[in-house]
Amino acid sequence: MSRGNRGQVRIIEAFLAVLIIFSSLAASSSLTATQNRAKRDDLSAVGLQALMKLDSDGALGRLIDEGNWSRLRDAVDLAFPAGVSFNLTVYDEGIQQVNAVVVSNGGFNSQEVVFVEYACAGWGPVFHSYVIRLCLAVAA
Amino acid sequence: MKRQVEEFRANRSGQLLIVAALAIAVLVSSTTIYVYELSRDTNSSDRPPLNDFVLSLKQSARNVMISSLANVSNGGSSSVLATNLNTFSQLVASLHHLGTMSLDFTPLNDSTYDSGTYLSWNTSDTSDTGVSSAYVNFTLRVYGLEEDIDAAFAVNVTTTITISGSYATLLSGDKQVSLTCRVYNEDEPALAKNMTFFYENSGNWIQVDASNDLVIIDQGNGTYLVSFTVNIPSDTVPVSVRGYDSRNVFVLANTTCSGT
Repeated sequence: MSRGNRGQVRIIEAFLAVLIIFSSLAASSSLTATQNRAKRDDLSAVGLQALMKLDSDGALGRLIDEGNWSRLRDAVDLAFPAGVSFNLTVYDEGIQQVNAVVVSNGGFNSQEVVFVEYACAGWGPVFHSYVIRLCLAVAA
Repeated sequence: MKRQVEEFRANRSGQLLIVAALAIAVLVSSTTIYVYELSRDTNSSDRPPLNDFVLSLKQSARNVMISSLANVSNGGSSSVLATNLNTFSQLVASLHHLGTMSLDFTPLNDSTYDSGTYLSWNTSDTSDTGVSSAYVNFTLRVYGLEEDIDAAFAVNVTTTITISGSYATLLSGDKQVSLTCRVYNEDEPALAKNMTFFYENSGNWIQVDASNDLVIIDQGNGTYLVSFTVNIPSDTVPVSVRGYDSRNVFVLANTTCSGT
């Protein structure tokens, strides 16, 4: 190998080295992204399970039927672990918003906001069904 | 000799650079994978959100049936079930956050169920058991953003009440009736919200009240011990219980008490 070609080979080798390190970093960051996705899925599962628990004895539908938003807020707040912020909106069968007041336990400080939808049916002899849209975030 | 070593080093320095880069890459990757695996072990839930959503829809479909059965058992038309399920189906179709979904349903129609509901209140005096029930087969199709789900499931909502008892004749000539009532939801013991008792005298059903020394002992496990006194001439005492479970489903059962 001539001295002139040796410099070009060094540059190619250096590029290869940089490529290897950056590809390893890229693979690592994709793993972190998967982990963030798993965290979001966990939070959405927590949200859905909390609503299911509240709805297991018809309490969720009853509170909405009664328009008792403060009790609904307290019940949802109790169902979540500490540090979880939520904002809940209730829609009727025509997707018109039912709750006139904000049902929330505070502001969202996190950039990771999870959205959960839940179809709720009341137990009352007069049938009402609702769509509940719940935004969740872990307080930063 | 020293010069030859220096030349060797100079010639092989690029390969050493690649080997070093490979070593760093392996270190970075293995550390990241190790940290990822550790954190994944501590994350308890492995269930994807779509499965949770299907579970939540099953529960909501069940709630629709409870509401419908409460309506039908309180005198509503049996078509209420299909009407309510239609409304709920349309509501489900409006949910889009996990993809497009449809919920189809088929109320059971057979020798006992009519349009998905079955009320067996057996007004004959020897039945001892009353049943209010609803049964519907569902098919849920979710065309998800990442996966599709095609789930078939059946939901059965049944409230059952059983009544049995006997009477003892008191010195006064009155008959003291002792009853055992049991309430079940889907064959599991359940609490009653409200129960009223009647006895039959000369073809008329008369409600038992405080004037009959009515005592109801709630054992807390779906079993109710009831006693009251009646003054009727017949050798047997036909008794009826009409109750609501905690879901507002009405159910009725009759029995005939004999003397002990």
